[in-house]
Amino acid sequence: MAKEDKVKTKWNLKKELRLAPGYVVIILWVLFTLILLGWILAASLSTTADIFAGKALEFPTGLHFENYTKAWGDGGVATFFMNSLLYSLVSCALLVVICAPAAYVLARFTFMGNKIIQTGFVSAMGVPITMIVLPLFCVVANMGILNNITASKVTLIFLYVGINIPYTTIFLLTFFANLSRTYEEAAAIDGCPPTRTFWKIMFPMAQSGIITVTIFNFINIWNEYFLSLIFANNDALRPVAVGLYGMLQSMQYTGNWAGMFAAVMIVFLPTFILYLFLSEKIIGGVTGGIKG
Amino acid sequence: MIVGFLAPAVIIFSLVFLYPICRTVIMSFFKIDSVTAATDTWQFVGIGNYQKLFTTDIFKTAMFNIARIWFIGGLIVLIISLLFGVILTSGIRGKKFFRAIIYLPNIVSAVALATMWLQYVYSPKFGLLKSFLDAIGLHELAKTQWTAPEHVFWALLFAYCFGMIGYHMLIWMSGIERISPEYYEAATIDGANKIQQFRYMTLPLLKGVLKTNITMWSVSTAAFFVWSQLFSSVTANKGTIVPVQYMYMNIFGAGNAVTERNAGYGAAIGIILCICIVVIFTICNLLIKDDDLEF
Repeated sequence: MAKEDKVKTKWNLKKELRLAPGYVVIILWVLFTLILLGWILAASLSTTADIFAGKALEFPTGLHFENYTKAWGDGGVATFFMNSLLYSLVSCALLVVICAPAAYVLARFTFMGNKIIQTGFVSAMGVPITMIVLPLFCVVANMGILNNITASKVTLIFLYVGINIPYTTIFLLTFFANLSRTYEEAAAIDGCPPTRTFWKIMFPMAQSGIITVTIFNFINIWNEYFLSLIFANNDALRPVAVGLYGMLQSMQYTGNWAGMFAAVMIVFLPTFILYLFLSEKIIGGVTGGIKG
Repeated sequence: MIVGFLAPAVIIFSLVFLYPICRTVIMSFFKIDSVTAATDTWQFVGIGNYQKLFTTDIFKTAMFNIARIWFIGGLIVLIISLLFGVILTSGIRGKKFFRAIIYLPNIVSAVALATMWLQYVYSPKFGLLKSFLDAIGLHELAKTQWTAPEHVFWALLFAYCFGMIGYHMLIWMSGIERISPEYYEAATIDGANKIQQFRYMTLPLLKGVLKTNITMWSVSTAAFFVWSQLFSSVTANKGTIVPVQYMYMNIFGAGNAVTERNAGYGAAIGIILCICIVVIFTICNLLIKDDDLEF
């Protein structure tokens, strides 16, 4: 901080001083966040004995990368990780293919029921998951596929897609509404059919919105917990959030804290890496779907 | 083309939202032994499920807890996030960096975040709070068992709020940044200081954003579940139980909270939470009038 202060004095001491209380508050908060994450990272590379001795940051016995390999292999994180990856990627792709056309039509054409569908989607974003989970479970359980791994995976993906449709559609709708109509008019004059116009011209033009919403969907599905807890009733099906919860329960008996923190880091890393590269896009998109 | 483009989205939407919502509403008026029971075994009980719920102590505790989380947590989160939003838009350096770090907890899995708090910050052996309090000489306070029954609710609340602030800060910031800087220049020329500017210009212009914030907070509170599950052990914990968790235990899990199996309760809990959101939303709309200021 001292260094920063020197740099600041060169600029405008008076202005910076006026902002000083703000700096203090924000820096304390940011520091706390960084310590929290930094310590977890350190602990995941340490040993349980060192953590309990309060030496997680000193690494008296060196760096223990085997915590990660153990959690990945024996702990079963590999399965959860691959499941989550599969669910997230497939669901994100399906969501784009399903929602982009719907959003485009809702944004561009006036027809009976347009407003109703939009209102329905917006209200659905406020519906607590508890409202829909019981009948869904009933249907899925009565189909008798809870013991079939592949069928269960398909069901889970279907549910992830389903619950994210309203958000994705509404997000893309505002995006399509802001695109100029002149491109479609030009395409129509040149004799391009509307469906082709959409896939060849409008869809690529909405690319940046589609990427943003896909990042959000990926993070949401990666971190999804409640539905997975109910519908993934088998270790071979579980995504990371639920798998991690199960591991936490067992780690408390085996007392492998370093391994537990390593598992936490493995779950944390994918979304964190996405965030490292795309934080500007993510932050810009947070308020994109909401009208102020 | 319209039909073809809309059909997949609308069909899946109906399957995942419309049909289950209707069925949940109906289920809440019946006594149903198991979620998977066939419709002809349902017994109509009218509003019996609701009456029963509101005479069940543990459900009342759950509602009380969620109300506290909504109100106290809401105050904490909205005030701190507004403060951060104002500070970050006041022209400080490193705004993007600070903003990115403050939002970071929101992209982390709630299970991972709750574990970090539970196993590290609140740990009685090597925890951050303990080390910090020891370091500043408050050894008595450092011995506190933060997750003991008498403290666990507050431990849970603060950990949860920590994770939510980034999101609400971004909503505030988008509102603040839409206000034209010319207004502030004009106010500064007229002699209004920063605090007056905040009180008489920023706040009134942020009314609509406040409404958005309250709505978003209410929606996320209604789904409150992961944190409770992680902060309580296998059995229900009076300090942290919330309606969704009660519903989950009632229908899918074992636990000491279950006295009688009835999927109708679960449905009724869903409806009650939904009604709460609608009521909050309506009150917000009545109290906070959007004057449709052009700015």
